[in-house]
Amino acid sequence: MTDAVKEAAQEAFSQTNFGAFDWVIVGVYLLISVAIGLYVKRYVSDMVTYIGAGRKVGTWLGVATMTGTELGLITVMYMAQKGFTGGFAAFHMALIAGAATLFVGLTGFIVVPLRKLEVLTIPEFYEKRFSRGIRVLGGVMLAFAGILNMGLFLKVGSMFIVGITGLPSEGEALKIVMVVLLLLVLVYTTMGGMISVILTDYIQFVVLAFGLLVATGIAIATLGWDHIFVTIGEQMGEGGFNPAAEDSAFGWEYILWMTVTAGLVGSAVWPTAVSRALAMESTKALKRQYMWSSVSFAVRFMLPMFWGICAFVYVMTSPEGADLKSLFFPPEGSEAEAMNNLYAMPVFMGRLLPPVMVGLIAAAMIAAFMSTHDSYFLCWSSVITQDIIAPLRGGDLSTKARVKLTRIVIVLIGGYVLYWGMFYKGGEDIWDYMAVSGGIFFTGAFVVLILGIYWKGASTFGALLGLLSGFLMLLGLEPVQKLVGLRYVNAAGENIERLSSAQLGLMVIALAFTTMVVGSLIVPDKNGGLDEKERGAG
Amino acid sequence: MTWIVLWKVMFVVVMIIFALTACLVTVFGAKDIKRMLKALGEESKGLAGDDDSKEN
Repeated sequence: MTDAVKEAAQEAFSQTNFGAFDWVIVGVYLLISVAIGLYVKRYVSDMVTYIGAGRKVGTWLGVATMTGTELGLITVMYMAQKGFTGGFAAFHMALIAGAATLFVGLTGFIVVPLRKLEVLTIPEFYEKRFSRGIRVLGGVMLAFAGILNMGLFLKVGSMFIVGITGLPSEGEALKIVMVVLLLLVLVYTTMGGMISVILTDYIQFVVLAFGLLVATGIAIATLGWDHIFVTIGEQMGEGGFNPAAEDSAFGWEYILWMTVTAGLVGSAVWPTAVSRALAMESTKALKRQYMWSSVSFAVRFMLPMFWGICAFVYVMTSPEGADLKSLFFPPEGSEAEAMNNLYAMPVFMGRLLPPVMVGLIAAAMIAAFMSTHDSYFLCWSSVITQDIIAPLRGGDLSTKARVKLTRIVIVLIGGYVLYWGMFYKGGEDIWDYMAVSGGIFFTGAFVVLILGIYWKGASTFGALLGLLSGFLMLLGLEPVQKLVGLRYVNAAGENIERLSSAQLGLMVIALAFTTMVVGSLIVPDKNGGLDEKERGAG
Repeated sequence: MTWIVLWKVMFVVVMIIFALTACLVTVFGAKDIKRMLKALGEESKGLAGDDDSKEN
């Protein structure tokens, strides 16, 4: 980025309404979160309490914590990016997510059998259904994919804070924000485990839910309801509304891929969502939790997308946003590099919202950032402790040692996240990075869970092949694609992608399904399968 | 129904249901917290001194 562009960017960023009092609001919120972590430490008596809140979470608290976890700042940022680049057509993902979660709530698909087995993690199910070896392999893949998946959380979250507060987008500010946020999350997560995570999720839900609604109302009142739709129609054509249109940023393959990832995997296979299901006090409460959460699952995509759409409309049509237009869409022929469009939504919100309101929204978003981080830290660290280290030691590990080990692993993952946020240089869309990295785990797990629960013939060997298929998702990461020639720049200087993440993901799922079925038929287990009661039939 | 109408209707309906959900979760979620902390408090008293137990 040239110095002139940097200066223009800094000038544009500094026009935020975020002021000193807003910093106070954010500071108070952060202190409350840390205080909760310290306070609830007294309730941690064993691993079931530390990573599952003692399985004592009621329906409404379950909805709050499910939403708090899944409506993270990273979600807000990448969904706003989808709205900014894809218009209303991106809403198909929200529709799919809501419908799939409702389906899981109505049928208990995957999650009810897991809850009935009283497992704490998905790999624990692998041991009950298949073998200890599959549990360890599943744990390794889950931890690897999950930790890789959250690699960009810290950086993207910090970009939001920089964008909305008007801190310098270049230089040390981003790094300092990353370190401070990370330290705060580490303190209260290591202290209180799932109990503090759930309590902070509840506070986040309350602040964020009302903040989202008010901010959306202000955006509509400022830009005009009809003007927003008309502008998207003018700028993006039919592709701005129809996700299957030729000029859309999506297409049928993408819609199908989203049905798997944003739909069924997001609600019934992704470990952080499943860990909430496994913490519920009963299967009845669990199903109610999913049914109510279906609204939140749609909202967590739809509202940020709408903010991204509003940011686009503001940038393209508002006289006040004219300076941003040249930053995000440099004129053709200009050598200026376009500003990362992840900044569009936070910069827009920083200008749109009045003082105090902008502080509350920033606090809510930081809450969203923290609640996602704490859940992910806890989830991956507990998998490493419970499903990798403890089984490898033959289960000979005391409660005290497990809790201590989990805390150490949380800190180590925090160190990795900081490193990855600072040094990863992949240029793919954030959501696609997450779908690909998460896919290393969930493409195999999706198949192994479904067949393991609902097909008696599924065998340990089949599960092994199904899980291992997931490693092929590494081919979707941009640096790996460049290395193996799946992505290159042609003679005309165009970026050529031979295999999209959607195509790769669907192929890997088909492969995992095929290998697991064939492997199970070739090498069946002597005994196996869940009974009717464990599957949740009836 | 055109795509524009579909997205407009979906947006408004989801907003209304979400606002209702937010109110319900705020009120009843607080009650769930009280219940959970009470149960955990009683449990941790019962388990005091059993820190070195083994788990699977």
